[in-house]
Amino acid sequence: MKSFKRLRQLACAMSVMFVASMAAAAPQSGGTVVITTSPEPALITNALSSAPTTAELATKIFDGLLEYDMNLQPKPSLAESWTVSPDGKKITFKLREGVKWHDGKPFSSADVQFSLLKVVKDYHPRGQGNLGPVTSIDTPDAKTAVLNLAYPYPPLMMGLSSLEAPIVPKHLYEGTDFRNNPAVNQPVGTGPFKFVRWEKGNFIELARNENYWRPGRPYLDRLIFRFIADGATRAAAVERGEIDVATFGTINPVEMRRLEKLPNITIAKGGYEAIAPVMMLELNVKRPPLDDKRVRQAIAYAIDRNFVVKNVWYGFGKPAVGPISSFVKASGAFTDQGVTRFDVKDRLEIANRLLDEAGLKRGANGMRTKIVHDVSPFGEDYRRMGEYIKQALARVGIDVELRSRDYPTFVRQVHNEYDFNMTSTWSIGMADPTLGVQRQTWSKMINPKVPFGNVSQYSNPEVDQRWVAAQTETDRAKRNQLFHELQRLLVDDSPIIWLMEMDLVAVQNKRVNDLITSPLGLRGGLYDTWVSR
Amino acid sequence: MWASRARYVLGRLIHGLPIIMAIVVVNFFLIRLAPGDAAQVMAGESGAASPEYMAQIRAQFGLDQPLYVQFLQYMKNILVFDMGYSFRHARGVAELIFDRLGATALLMAASMLISVGVGILLGAIAAVRDRTWTANLIVTFAIVTYATPLFWVGLMLIIAFSIHLPWFPTSGISVVGAADTGLRHVLDVAHHLVLPALTLSFFYMALYTRLMRSSMLETLRMDFINTARAKGLANGKIVYRHALRNAILPVLTMAGVQVSSMLGGSVIVESVFGWPGLGLLAFEALFSRDLNLLLGIFFLSSILVVITNAIVDVVYTIVDPRIELRRKRHVKP
Amino acid sequence: MSSPDVPFKASGLLVRTLRTPQGAIGLFLLVCVAGLALTAPWLFPDGPYEMLGAPFSEPFGEFWLGTDMLGRDIAAGIAYGARISLIVGLVAAFVIVVLGTVVGGIAGYYGGRIDTAVMRVTEFFQTIPTFIGAIVIVAVLGSTLPNVVGAIAIVSWAPLARLVRAEVISVKNREFTSACLALGMSDMRIMLVQILPNVLSTITVAGSLMVATAILFESGLSFLGLGDPNIMTWGFMIGAGRAAIRTAWWMVTIPGIAVLLTVLSINLIGDALNEALNPRHKS
Repeated sequence: MKSFKRLRQLACAMSVMFVASMAAAAPQSGGTVVITTSPEPALITNALSSAPTTAELATKIFDGLLEYDMNLQPKPSLAESWTVSPDGKKITFKLREGVKWHDGKPFSSADVQFSLLKVVKDYHPRGQGNLGPVTSIDTPDAKTAVLNLAYPYPPLMMGLSSLEAPIVPKHLYEGTDFRNNPAVNQPVGTGPFKFVRWEKGNFIELARNENYWRPGRPYLDRLIFRFIADGATRAAAVERGEIDVATFGTINPVEMRRLEKLPNITIAKGGYEAIAPVMMLELNVKRPPLDDKRVRQAIAYAIDRNFVVKNVWYGFGKPAVGPISSFVKASGAFTDQGVTRFDVKDRLEIANRLLDEAGLKRGANGMRTKIVHDVSPFGEDYRRMGEYIKQALARVGIDVELRSRDYPTFVRQVHNEYDFNMTSTWSIGMADPTLGVQRQTWSKMINPKVPFGNVSQYSNPEVDQRWVAAQTETDRAKRNQLFHELQRLLVDDSPIIWLMEMDLVAVQNKRVNDLITSPLGLRGGLYDTWVSR
Repeated sequence: MWASRARYVLGRLIHGLPIIMAIVVVNFFLIRLAPGDAAQVMAGESGAASPEYMAQIRAQFGLDQPLYVQFLQYMKNILVFDMGYSFRHARGVAELIFDRLGATALLMAASMLISVGVGILLGAIAAVRDRTWTANLIVTFAIVTYATPLFWVGLMLIIAFSIHLPWFPTSGISVVGAADTGLRHVLDVAHHLVLPALTLSFFYMALYTRLMRSSMLETLRMDFINTARAKGLANGKIVYRHALRNAILPVLTMAGVQVSSMLGGSVIVESVFGWPGLGLLAFEALFSRDLNLLLGIFFLSSILVVITNAIVDVVYTIVDPRIELRRKRHVKP
Repeated sequence: MSSPDVPFKASGLLVRTLRTPQGAIGLFLLVCVAGLALTAPWLFPDGPYEMLGAPFSEPFGEFWLGTDMLGRDIAAGIAYGARISLIVGLVAAFVIVVLGTVVGGIAGYYGGRIDTAVMRVTEFFQTIPTFIGAIVIVAVLGSTLPNVVGAIAIVSWAPLARLVRAEVISVKNREFTSACLALGMSDMRIMLVQILPNVLSTITVAGSLMVATAILFESGLSFLGLGDPNIMTWGFMIGAGRAAIRTAWWMVTIPGIAVLLTVLSINLIGDALNEALNPRHKS
């Protein structure tokens, strides 16, 4: 009898535990998540700006026509379904019913037409790239939007997220001066969270949209974005649990590794596949000695990418193969087949040999030539990397002088005047190479008036031809083939040295669940995120 | 007496006006010496920008006008204390400065109090107990502290009292997210203030200690002290009534002069401790080419220095009535 | 204040300085630092930038003072940093002394309108918070070593000029100057032969303290990231180590001690010089 009773007690306890564990895994409604990001944005509506922190905020307030799953396949968002005409020049979107703006007005195809044509295309820095061939949008009824393209443009379907092409309310923007419209900083969208208030210098508060078109979502009551100027304060706040999520770049990598070891903190991986960030060195191919391909390749051989990943970025990344990163593997655009590898055992001998062949003999001090490396003013890590590069290249006889300028001078000198030899930067490849990677090496993007284009001034007809072809090639296999060829050509020519695929991880408190559920990660709507109490 | 003092202060302020204006003018042109402007910063932050975008920004902030036009506009506005708009913070400069002014003022006031108070105390002790172990210890402490870089002191204090012994927070002015009010808020800020204020005060403490000591030693040797001794006044009274009062003067003068230097020191201390004050703001403004903000801070700090110098002179006369206030150029030792 | 009873005598100065405990300690420390600076290329032939070891190695291990986050030898950094600190200190102080003496001397001697004008100029320079001024100058002109030295000199010369001026005035007002004037000596002669020697002791003491100030300034600028990125300085090491302060305390502590000892040695020497040249201050 006693043993039976004990067995029953045990069974009872086990079932309670079982139920409890189930409950722990199931999302709970309610709660607040506090995110810290830096710098404080200048404006909140990302249709007018591509600044990273603006995007982080705006993507909770606005929706795009589409979203993407972890395989970078389009999913319905404001558009429920779509059909592409056989010639690729007409895309018909059937829009979702019953969607309302945060101010209660109904959403319709007129908003789509207005947002894409009048706002995003003209005002968003990537608008031309994302929506270039769209000449007009028909709205036969409130639930249908038809995009008419001048020519077929496969990348278009990859650039319709809330990050790239958010839909803004026509009734608030039409006929106004967009930049000075009060709705810019008191935004009204269709997204999972509504804007509540912005206490400048302190925080921005967002609240749950009860009329969100996704039933039962979002789970969270409130999202607060806190702006803390100092890195050490942020780290301490995360450690104490006052901040739930710290975006990449707000806490320095050494601290991130330390915080990771704490019991209530973890690193949130993923969520940058749709952005495909790659860190690289841009070389000015119009200026000797980097106009010689052998010298550029020698530099590529001389740098140990693993060292950079491990000691400069503390393991938050992996060595890059080429401009098109493995993040877009799912679409088939990535390849490492037939691509020159620079991390071979005898890389230093190869580098020395190439420099000898290029006619750069070692002088009395052991140096063959001198170049200036303009350190990107993006942070301490870039300085460390600059110092490493100086040492690495010294080994093969290239004397590197480091130059540190403040931000505007840097932009002006490097991007407007092309007065540089080598500079470091990171670039977003985006989910489709045409939307991101193309910019770096297509000769049409050499424009001293526009920063962050083809800064290397690289111009290769074989490369250009393939970029142009890929813009309109509707056959997926053929298009991917073009990207593979581009990868091989570009890595071989090395106008840019692609160093590292970056893991833009976030540091988070373990009480936050399902923070990263899409390839946009923290730049997504966060409607599936919940907190355990 | 007070009327003449007030007149004197006013006179000094007016005397300081051309200096202040000169500072503004020089800085206006100096900062624009290095090319690069706000539009480029914002373009850079966006990650990409079209020429139209940059032209829009320039027009919005008036950066596309010729330099002298911008200058005249700026001078006109300054006269009504309109210091312009900070593109980076999307707020008015005056508003931004007044927001952060409190933090820096608090830090400097606390540091000033600690350094002057402790400096006078230690200096007096070292003088009175000259040639004893105590005095030598104090002198050594002063000498070593005077040689220590400000930022290093701050970092060492953080290592010792924030990391190893978790007594004080590493940075910030208050606990993040705390919506404390009243006493709790005051205590929280005070808690955060300890390490930064200590850091900023060390160097000056050493300075005032040395100054106080030598000043005190000189005073103690003076004739009127000997006269008092001959008259039979107790030693303690001599020290506290006569010697101290005279010896303090150079220290106070020096303290006033050091306000300018302390502002510079606050840049470092605020940077080390993430203290949200003007020093840090100026530093950030410089690197984002937020010219209006930077100029605003310069303007304010030069006014502050001129005012402080005038006040020090007045305080001088209160403490030592033998010194007259002269309008032209008064004699400083 | 200098007294005419003890004219500036170079000879025996060293001995008199060494006699005081401050002088002895100061000179000893300085000789150590200078020695380290001079022998750096022999002690650390690879230079301070070579990434020889494992990152974040603790001191007293394979590397005497540990390594930094890129595996660079901290001891090498200290040795090479010593060279920069001393050079910056000496050059900046020299410029300051020359500039301040000339300007202050002229203002004090001639008085009148020249004096007023000079005083206005020095007031201008003294109203700007010195460190902020240095930051602006370096940020505008670019972070190179000459610019750093120049910036330090520009913001620091004014107090020295005032000091020299005050001294010159006080010397000028003494009887022997009027006597010289009565004798018909030229201004230049009076300045160089009569006044300067009496002011020299003040200049020497102030100048030596300027070396220390310059070193502190330079380390502050480097700490904030405004130094020359191609040169290893102590301030730079502290600034770089700040990010890893919880993991690698030695990266911040050790270079700071180097700065402290160097500046201390110079201050001690300055104090000893002061005592040697102005014995009235002896207690």
